[in-house]
Amino acid sequence: MGLLSILRKLKSTPDQEVRILLLGLDNGGKTTLLKQLASEDISHITPTQGFNIKSVQSQGFKLNVWDIGGQRKIRPYWRNYFENTDVLIYVIDSADRKRFEETGQELAELLDEEKLSGVPVLIFANKQDLLTAAPASEIAEGLNLHTIRDRLWQIQSCSALTGEGIQDGMNWVCKSVNSKKK
Amino acid sequence: MRRVRARMLEFLWQHFYTSFLRFWLKWFIRQVTRKCELQRICSGYKQGAPRTVQAEYSLESSKNKVLRAALNVEENMVEECAEAIMMEKKVVSQKDPTFKLNLQVCLLQISGYKRLYVSVEDLRKQMFDSEKAEHENMLLKLWDLLVPSVKLESRITKQWGDIGFQGDDPKTDFRGMGMLGLTNLVFFSENYTDVARQVLSHSNHPKLGYSYAIVGINLTEMAYSLLKSGALKPHFYNTVPQSPKLEHFHQLYCYLAYEFDKFWIEEKPESIMEFNRYREKFHDQVKKQLEEPDVTLYLRVDCK
Repeated sequence: MGLLSILRKLKSTPDQEVRILLLGLDNGGKTTLLKQLASEDISHITPTQGFNIKSVQSQGFKLNVWDIGGQRKIRPYWRNYFENTDVLIYVIDSADRKRFEETGQELAELLDEEKLSGVPVLIFANKQDLLTAAPASEIAEGLNLHTIRDRLWQIQSCSALTGEGIQDGMNWVCKSVNSKKK
Repeated sequence: MRRVRARMLEFLWQHFYTSFLRFWLKWFIRQVTRKCELQRICSGYKQGAPRTVQAEYSLESSKNKVLRAALNVEENMVEECAEAIMMEKKVVSQKDPTFKLNLQVCLLQISGYKRLYVSVEDLRKQMFDSEKAEHENMLLKLWDLLVPSVKLESRITKQWGDIGFQGDDPKTDFRGMGMLGLTNLVFFSENYTDVARQVLSHSNHPKLGYSYAIVGINLTEMAYSLLKSGALKPHFYNTVPQSPKLEHFHQLYCYLAYEFDKFWIEEKPESIMEFNRYREKFHDQVKKQLEEPDVTLYLRVDCK
C-alpha cells in the first residue's frame, strides 16, 4: 500500500494536512516501514540519525509521515514532533524479547503525553517474518493494551521487510483519522 | 508545444549523430590525422579522468565487439586486450609508442571500477555475525583503536554508546551496510588513528555532538551509493592509475568521515535532529566536486 493510496482514502477529511508519526525503539523497523510505504528500496537502510520524512501531495491535500530515530540518546527529542499528530504508529521488534519491557515503558510514557492525548495509536508488531517473533496477542497482553480507554488503538502484526500486514494496519489508520475528524 | 518540438529535434539529432554522423565524422578525421579515435584520446587528453572518461565513452559507443568487450576485461588479460584493439584498429606500435601503455591504464581503470563495485557489494552483503570470531574481533579492535585507555567491561555494554553505537550491542547497527560499514570504521581508526580519535572527540561535544559510529555507517552508505551510480569514476580515474581496490574505497570513506566532521562543526547545526538536512547539503557538495574533471577526494593528513 503506497502513500498515495493512503492519501486518497484520507480525502474525506476536511483537513488540508494529515500528520502521521512513527515512533519506537531503535532497530524496530520504522525506516523500513516508511520506505515500504513510499515504495523505495529497503536493502541499504542505515540507523536513523535525527529523522526522515516522506510527503505526498495531491490536489492541495497533503500527507506527511515522520520517522524519528529511536536511539535512547535522541528520544528526548520525540516530544518536539508531537504537535498536531493525527495518528501515532508505534513499531515494535517482536523478536527482541529482551527489550519488551523497555518498549512498553516508552509506549506508556507516550500515551501519558498531553500533546498526544486522544490520538489514535496503531501498534505494529513488526518482524513477524522471523521465527522467534512473538505473536501480536502476546505483545498486546504484555503491554496491557486492553487497559487503554482514552483513545482508539489497534495492534497489527506485520513484516516491514516483506510488506505483509502493512496494508491492514494502514487501512485502520485511514479509518481512525476519518472518524476522528468528523 | 514549442518545447516538445525542440525536444523532438534534439532527440532526432542525437539519433542521427550516434547512428550515422559520428561514424562518418570519425572516418573523416581518421583519414586526415591517420589516427583512430582511441589514439587521439590517448594523446590529446591528460592522464586520469579526462582521458579515461573519453576512452570509456568511445568504447561504449563502438559497434565493434572487441572494443565493447574491453570494457569488462579481466585484470590479467589487459595487455592481450590492448593488443587485440590495436590489431582491430590497425595501430602500429612504432608509430605511436606510448599508445599501448596508455590504453592499458584506461582499460584497467574502466574495468577495475566495475570490479571494485562487485567487491564492495560482496562485503556489504555480508551481515555482521556474532558467531564469527573474525567479525567479533574486528568490533573489539575498533574499540581498542578508538578508546585504548578504557577497557570494555563486557561484550554487551552501554559503553558502546561512547563511540556512537545506538544500544548496548552494536550488531544491529550495521544493517544494510553489513561488514562494509564495520570495515570502513576500522580502516579509518587503524590508518588515521589520531584523526579518527579527534573526530570521535568532536562527536562527543555536548552541543554539536553526533553518534560517531552511526554517522560513520551512514557515510559508508553515501560512499556506496556514489560508487554505485558511477559518480566516483573521475575520483578513482584521477587517483588510482591501475585497477582500484577495496583499500581505495576505504580511503575514500576516510575522506568523507574527516570532511563531514569538519563540515558539521563549521555549520553548527541546532541539534542532531538536523542531521539529514546537513547530510544532504554535504552530499550535494561532494557531488559537485565530483563534476570537476580533476577531482581528487583524498584525505591529506599524516598517517597515524
